[in-house]
Amino acid sequence: MAQSTSSNMADIYRFLAQSLRYPDSSWLQAEYFSALDAFLVGLGWDAEAASIRRSISESADWLEPLQVEHTRLFVNAVPAVIAPPYGSVYLSDDGMLYGPSAEKTKLFYHEQGFDLVGEADIPDHLTFELEFLALLVEEGKSDEEEFFLAHHFRPWFPKFKARVVCETRHHFYRVIVNLIDFFTREEM
Amino acid sequence: MALNLTRRKFLQTASLAAATAAMSGCFADRAKAGTPFVKKPFAAPGSFADTKTVTGGICEMCFWRCQLVGKVRDGRLVKLEGNPKSIDNGVSICARGNAGVKLLYDPDRLKFPMKNVGKRGAPEWKRISWDEALDECATRLKGVIDKYGPQGIAIFPHGCSATYPMNFFENVVGTPNNSEASFFQCRGIRDTAYVATLGVPPGENVDMANAKAIFLLGGHFGENVHVSHLKRYLKGLENGAKLIVVDPRFSASVSKADIWVRIKPGTDTAFLLAIMNYLIKEGKYDKKYVAEHGKGFGEFAKGISHSSLKWAAKTCDVPEKQIKQVADTLAANAPNVSIHPGRHVSWNGNDFQRERALACLTGLLGTIGVKGGFVPGKGPKVGKVGWPKLMSEHAEQFALHTMAKLYKFSPPGTPTDLIRNTAVTGKPYAIKGYVGWGQNPIQTIPDQALTIKMLEQMDFVMVCDVMPTDITMYADILLPELSYLERYDGYIHKGTQWNFADPQQQFIAPRLPLVSPIATDHERKDSIWIINELAKRMGYGEHIKVKSAEEMVEKILAGVNLSIGQLVKEEGIHLQPGADPYGKALDVEFYSAELAEAGYSAIPTYVPVPEPPKGFARLVYGRSPVHTFNRTQNNAWLHNEMPNNPVWLNDESAKKMGLKEGDTIELVNQDGVKSRTSSVVKVTPGIRKDTIYMAHGYGTMNKAMTVASGKGIDDQSLITRLAVDPETGAHGMRNNFVKFIKNGKVLSIPA
Ligand code: SF4
Repeated sequence: MAQSTSSNMADIYRFLAQSLRYPDSSWLQAEYFSALDAFLVGLGWDAEAASIRRSISESADWLEPLQVEHTRLFVNAVPAVIAPPYGSVYLSDDGMLYGPSAEKTKLFYHEQGFDLVGEADIPDHLTFELEFLALLVEEGKSDEEEFFLAHHFRPWFPKFKARVVCETRHHFYRVIVNLIDFFTREEM
Repeated sequence: MALNLTRRKFLQTASLAAATAAMSGCFADRAKAGTPFVKKPFAAPGSFADTKTVTGGICEMCFWRCQLVGKVRDGRLVKLEGNPKSIDNGVSICARGNAGVKLLYDPDRLKFPMKNVGKRGAPEWKRISWDEALDECATRLKGVIDKYGPQGIAIFPHGCSATYPMNFFENVVGTPNNSEASFFQCRGIRDTAYVATLGVPPGENVDMANAKAIFLLGGHFGENVHVSHLKRYLKGLENGAKLIVVDPRFSASVSKADIWVRIKPGTDTAFLLAIMNYLIKEGKYDKKYVAEHGKGFGEFAKGISHSSLKWAAKTCDVPEKQIKQVADTLAANAPNVSIHPGRHVSWNGNDFQRERALACLTGLLGTIGVKGGFVPGKGPKVGKVGWPKLMSEHAEQFALHTMAKLYKFSPPGTPTDLIRNTAVTGKPYAIKGYVGWGQNPIQTIPDQALTIKMLEQMDFVMVCDVMPTDITMYADILLPELSYLERYDGYIHKGTQWNFADPQQQFIAPRLPLVSPIATDHERKDSIWIINELAKRMGYGEHIKVKSAEEMVEKILAGVNLSIGQLVKEEGIHLQPGADPYGKALDVEFYSAELAEAGYSAIPTYVPVPEPPKGFARLVYGRSPVHTFNRTQNNAWLHNEMPNNPVWLNDESAKKMGLKEGDTIELVNQDGVKSRTSSVVKVTPGIRKDTIYMAHGYGTMNKAMTVASGKGIDDQSLITRLAVDPETGAHGMRNNFVKFIKNGKVLSIPA
């Protein structure tokens, strides 16, 4: 891939990571939505683009439902948080947070010359993994990128995605996890 | 949707440039929020493969506070162990202590402040910032204070981290309405009864390790686990102490007992009175001690003289011979006898009198300050720092039990029963603000429907916790707290070596974090930070004495010329020479003028408790070695050890009822209240026919506790009939009666 496509890919990873951060007005503005819209249209995902446009324009107060949904899907909820965004929850027998696979992920970060800012950060958080992929792309480490996707990201992401797709009450998150899936899926 | 477009193809299309051009603008805030990564040269492989040992941990899976070390690998806590330097628990920790790792990394833990945008009881959560959360808590609590006065706020705290909030609301805000259930509804009765009799709260300070006989009333050690306490008990047994256990059930302690008194529940005071009466009549008590330190012994002896062995045998449903055997065993081994004061003693609403009787028996046998007896250790001192007592007078003036002239021997705080009734009726004043801190009153206070009514009428409900327990469902604002493994604590653990026969030593062990709390994927805080921020916003900022938990620990340690740095050097535990704990006698108020004056029975008195209605048996509950009340329910490792709480049923009764071991059942109580969930039957000869037993702390109703939700039966849900102890105002929780339900059919229990 050409250099420009690579850095584009870094932007895409970052954009996807950003999309899963807590929705608040510091970033979730018209600017974001038009970027997302252009991106989806560019991909030919017109129906998805339309569904997001609709759900955002449907009510003046579109932010709070997104915040409630983000909390319900990823933070804490009654009856249960739908899809904890942490790899080892899906990879360990007992749904453990910071399980052995998360330790391995952290080790891989170290091997690539990076560390997490927060000492207690749970290493296999979805947004961390996407941000890390962006860093690998920027450093031109495409083999490492593929390795990370195959050995650290893909082993759990489809399970996470399935929960979000089937449980979410908001188009936005369904589209975003599908986008992440699209850009991280293995290609023959 | 362009199904054929692959990622790679897309990245090569012309539309890519247009599509991604706008993206980078969306990261504008990233400079502010920061990337989650920093560049760091990779250290040699394997340098972090091994764990490093971090000292200074203090366990809080229960409240015994064993001293820990953590095995930490690259910031992750991998294992907990006892601190080898400990002279208390030593290298031993219990199953729950080990499972602390699972609490730290429980995916269900609270992670961010949240606002309830749904309803109380059926919450819908929205993550909010700390600023937003604290602003709202401050405004709404202030609103309650302005409208109803400080007494309009009730606080329900539990645990070391709740002390700072509790003192803030009591001393600075000025509310007397503090319900610390884990103390008030548990040990509080014991403490006030012993203070009224021996002048000191007893703790569990019996020198079992060096006793010739140990007497337990309901104590079920082995199922109830506190490491150094068990070490004392087991050392005593190892040394050949005779063990007497009074319990309607074949408990873990009964299995080691020389004498098992299979008593009828609720009648223990009668049993104790008969023993004392017999000892006095036979002259088998410590005459010298009683003469030197006893007060009102004559009135006492006369007052209990009706308590014959025969009367007690009938009342307690135990053989007369056995009562005599117990009394003789105690006398034969006196004064080296451990009369255990108990711990959770809020049983039947006649509990203060029973605890008084235990304290009198301790005095009668002269087993105070001697080997094997009641011996409070001589622990070290530390400094003190906290909120100034600005509003104590106001608080006292509005104390509900003082206003009602009730419960004159109430432990510190206000009887929960009065707080709840006042909130629900609005009389004598309104209680409209609820502050919960680490306590789950849904499962700690009987009559859940009334508790929920209390919560529903509040103007504002704020809860701070580590896990989403039942009470959190009723919060308007829910705050996530750091766990005991990630924080400093204003409480400093101190004590002596566990066995008084060893050289005398003292220890000081503050809680130091074993892992860092700093993270970008969750935002938990400690109680000192949270309350300080709240205090500032409520206008009490000028009274803040410490800026952080760490500073608080520093200041307390500075009082004895220690520091955190020093403690880290000393591997988390400071040791110093101790003092001989033996030799101190205590006066014994056999007849209490103070009680007489307050209008209570001045000598220990047996008050009969309600009998089970026909077809029902009394529900009693106790502890499991792998759980601490309901706090550990959701811990995956512990849950795995004991996934539900089997309901003990007498084997002969079971046969008549057609129930078999392992049958799935529900329970229904005398008021027609059914258990929300089911459990299984344990069929055993090891329980009386009039008694049903189960472990407490199961059957949470909050589905956000994904491991524990709906597993086993919540005993508290079946405790709807209240029994309030007249001296203390604490709830007795064993005056409720149940029947079984199998496949929808209600089964009576034969007498
Ligand atoms: S007894 Fe167990 S749970 Fe309690 S403090 Fe000690 S190790 Fe922790």
